[in-house]
Amino acid sequence: MTTPATTPMTTPATAPATASVPFSGTRGGEAPLTWGQRLMWRAVHLMGPSQSFLNCPWVLPVHGRRDLATVLAALRRMLERHESLRTTFADTPHGPVQRVARGGELTVELAVTGPEGPLATAERIAAELGTTVFAHGEDLPLRCVVVLADGRPRALAFVFSHLAVDFQALSLLSAEWRALLRGDDLPPPEWQPMEQAALEREEPFLRRSRRSVRYWRSVLETVPLEVFDHPPGEPEEPRFIEVGMESVALAAAAVRQAERLTISTTSVVMAACATVLAVVSGRPRAVMQLVHSNRRDPRTRPLVATVGQDGLLVLDLPGTGFADTCLAAHRSALMAYRNAHYDPFEMQAMRAEIGRVRGREPDLDAFFNDRRGDGTWPNLPRLAPGEDLTPLTARTRTYVTNAWPGVRFKVFFTLGTDPGTGRLSLIVDTAYLPRETARAMLLGVETLLVRGLTEDVPLAAVRDLVRAHGEIRGAKGLGPDR
Amino acid sequence: MSGDLERRLADLVAAVSDGEISAEEALAGEHSLSALGLTSLAWIRLVDAIEDAFGVDVDLGGDLSAFDRVDALAAHVSDLLDTR
Repeated sequence: MTTPATTPMTTPATAPATASVPFSGTRGGEAPLTWGQRLMWRAVHLMGPSQSFLNCPWVLPVHGRRDLATVLAALRRMLERHESLRTTFADTPHGPVQRVARGGELTVELAVTGPEGPLATAERIAAELGTTVFAHGEDLPLRCVVVLADGRPRALAFVFSHLAVDFQALSLLSAEWRALLRGDDLPPPEWQPMEQAALEREEPFLRRSRRSVRYWRSVLETVPLEVFDHPPGEPEEPRFIEVGMESVALAAAAVRQAERLTISTTSVVMAACATVLAVVSGRPRAVMQLVHSNRRDPRTRPLVATVGQDGLLVLDLPGTGFADTCLAAHRSALMAYRNAHYDPFEMQAMRAEIGRVRGREPDLDAFFNDRRGDGTWPNLPRLAPGEDLTPLTARTRTYVTNAWPGVRFKVFFTLGTDPGTGRLSLIVDTAYLPRETARAMLLGVETLLVRGLTEDVPLAAVRDLVRAHGEIRGAKGLGPDR
Repeated sequence: MSGDLERRLADLVAAVSDGEISAEEALAGEHSLSALGLTSLAWIRLVDAIEDAFGVDVDLGGDLSAFDRVDALAAHVSDLLDTR
């Protein structure tokens, strides 16, 4: 027997039906921001109205036959367990702080399943929720819609603020959701962002931060000031677009290459993306920021919070073949991850100092992000060993997914979480890379991965294959004489 | 003595890999740590753990091959302890 702590309310037909989820945690409090929160705090302010890019849509299925009260009670426990989900943020004279509310109330909307089914409906709603910016000083860092079919809750659509969670944290929430629905007793989390913030003000964290800042400084002292040498052209409106690619061939080729070289598929896909970036920028060195989960301290592994930070990958293309590039990328990524543990405010101070010395801060707006929590594709179709992957590329499709006026990225590769296919997307600044170039780059990554299994693909050939997929304008390194 | 150091390092490998690699597998040295499945993140955790446990500063600027086997790693850490 449970007494619902939650109150579904009937509302007029014109307004969406809502329900209230009151929560009461074991404590509230105020603390400085963690390093992960500092990174996001800076990012949301840099992006302003385009910060909806940073929002994290997510869907949780409702397993089994559960009534609304049970689902709302599970949601209440989720909020009570994880302080990050009841945290607001404020600027104070002593710097920005996180404020954990002990109690409060989340209002959720109730929506009816569309013809596409509950999960797809929830995915659509989550994406819609993600287009609205959070007021970080007042709002709870999540919004939720319960999707019902025949009066029964079937899925939850969420958007979370990136100040509250990263993709690893979302995977953790998915992992405990089933137990919460069942009403299982779960041990309370022992480590919350307020503990993390305290730890990051002590050794050895301060030493690691200093070392990371030294590494970044050594790169920033010499890196080209611009991501591209060519001048900007006329951008599209909105200026920043995301082109997506769905490719089983990409994933299958990455798995095969990774097994062959005993490295991760992350390193392999990263190597291909960095190669294509180097080719399009006409440089023998690719410099990219790596979005890194950063959960290296055992206490942060179960932490539902934003922990990720950026590493700085410096990859000098060996020019011999793709397997060597993968190995070089793997080593360079280790250096990057190692130095992805720092106080973002200290890092920003160093970058500003470099900016004063060099006349301006170098533009590091090229990124690679692997969102897969465990770096695998568990539901990839089974293929015979050695099976030719080229025919699979016929099933690859590309599409434009999103657009923003001001996300600031020049180039941002994201490897998505789909368990059954390689989903690689690329955000470009269309002033530098037109959309057909972005598409050509994605297909170039796929071709490089597939051909790289059977031959050493030299850089000149990568140029040709990117060009073969689309007209390249602007990038000087891709002219016919190069 | 170097056996003790190898044992401690093998225990660290087991800890940072969340038990994916047992200390015995790491100690046996039949396969490299990457072949045993040490991920990049676990590898970074291992370097952090070595620094915290032994109070040394590990420089990753040079040859990283020492980090793929426990015996070579023990020799490397031993050098770091001597020059501390």
